[in-house]
Amino acid sequence: MRLLYINNDGSGFADYVTASEGTTVEQFFDSKMPGQESEDFLIRVNRQPVARDYVLQEGDRVTITPTKIEGALLS
Amino acid sequence: MEDRKRFIQMASRIEDALAWLNRDRFSQLLERLVKTTSHLQQLNVQTRKMSVALQHRWLAAADRCRINTQNLLNDVSYALSKAQQLIQAPRKEVPQLALLIDELRQLQDEFGDIEFEKAENTISVFTEPITLEDIPLGPFKIQLELNKIDQLYYSSPYRVMALDPNPATSDNSVTHPHVNGEKLCEGDGCAAIRAAIEEGRICDFFTLVRSILNTYGEDSPYVPLSDWNGVSCYDCGYTMSSEDTYYCEHCQHDYCSDCSTYCRHCEETVCLGCAGQCSYCEEFVCARCVSACEECGKLFCESCLEDDLCPKCKEDKENDNEQQEEDINENNSVPATHPTEIILASREGQAGSEVQSDRVGEAAVLQGQIG
Repeated sequence: MRLLYINNDGSGFADYVTASEGTTVEQFFDSKMPGQESEDFLIRVNRQPVARDYVLQEGDRVTITPTKIEGALLS
Repeated sequence: MEDRKRFIQMASRIEDALAWLNRDRFSQLLERLVKTTSHLQQLNVQTRKMSVALQHRWLAAADRCRINTQNLLNDVSYALSKAQQLIQAPRKEVPQLALLIDELRQLQDEFGDIEFEKAENTISVFTEPITLEDIPLGPFKIQLELNKIDQLYYSSPYRVMALDPNPATSDNSVTHPHVNGEKLCEGDGCAAIRAAIEEGRICDFFTLVRSILNTYGEDSPYVPLSDWNGVSCYDCGYTMSSEDTYYCEHCQHDYCSDCSTYCRHCEETVCLGCAGQCSYCEEFVCARCVSACEECGKLFCESCLEDDLCPKCKEDKENDNEQQEEDINENNSVPATHPTEIILASREGQAGSEVQSDRVGEAAVLQGQIG
C-alpha cells in the first residue's frame, strides 16, 4: 500500500512510500527510524495521534516529528 | 462556524504568502540570468578588443584582454552553476486551501489557541512553560510573520517571544539558550523548518520550533545554562558571565576584572588577595614570583632583589662595608704616616690627659716644641 510519509527528522522531507498490508504504526516507525525510541517522537496518522498497534491504511498520511531537536548558536 | 471562517481567512493568507515565496524563487532565477547575460555581453566586448589588438600586433593589449576574458569566464561559470541550481530545484506546489485549513485545525489540536493578527498578518501559538535543567524559562509565543515568508531564503520569517522572561543574567536579550533577540537558532532543525514552511505544513513548522525550545543543545548555546544566573565574583560578589571571569589558580576562585590582576613577572592571572605588591617597585606579583629580603624581611619581586637583598638593604650593606673598609684603612695607616698621633700617644702615657685627634692645633704646637 502507498503512504504519504513526512519525516521531520533531519531534512524534513515528504514523500510517498510503500508498506506491506497490515503494517502497524509501531512497525512502520521501527523500519523508518531504526535504533530510535518512539517516545522521543510525535507520531501522527492523518494529523491525529494513534495507538502503536494502529494498522496503517492505503493513503494514510504519517508524520514523524522529533520532540527534542538541538538548537545551535549558528544555524 | 466562527472558527471555520477564521481558519479560511488564515489559510487564505498563508496561501498568498506561499505564492509570493514561489514568485521569489523565479525572481532569484531571473536575477541570475540577467547577471549571466551581462557577463556574456562583456565577453563579447573583450573578444572584439582582442581581435583589433591582434590585427595591429598590440600584444600587450591582447594580453590584457586575455586576463579580462579569464575573469569573465570564471564569473560566467559561477553564474551558470547558480542558475542551474535554481532551475533544477523542484517547484513547490502551493497547497490547496482545504489542506491549509486541515493544517490549522491540527495546529489548534496540538497547541490549543491560535492567535491571528489580521493587521500584522501574523499567526501565533503559545508553548507550555519551559524548564531546562531546572531553570524555568517561562512560556513562549511563536509568531509566524506571513509577510516575511517570501524572505525565507534570506531571513527568518518568525519570532520567538518569551512571555514570562527569565533571561540570562549576562544578556537580557537571551531568553532561551538558543534564542537571542527573539530569533531562534535552529541548529539541527533548520532544514526541516524550511521544508515545512515551503510546503505549507504550518503545524509541522510550529511543532519543530517547539521541539527546539524544549531541548538544550549544550554544545552551542548563546549562554550556557550553567551560567544562566551568572557567575559571582568571589571577592565583591558582582555577577558576570563566565567569559568575563578571571580565575585565580592560587586560591582557585573566579573574580571580576576589578578584583583581579596579573603577575608582572610571570603574567599569570591572580586575584588581589593572592597577589603580593613589591615593596620597592610596587608592581603586583604572584606568590611564586615574590621573595622576602634577607635583611628587612619585606616582600619584593624577583627583579628588585639582588643577592636576596632589596635595593635599600643592598645599598645600606654596601655603605656599611665601605665604612668598615675606610675604618680599617684608617686604623692601619695612622701610626706609620701621622707623627702627631705618636706624640699624642706618648704624651698621653706621660700626663694621662685625653687628646682628641681633631685637636690639630695643639698637636702642631706640641710638634713645634719637640722640634
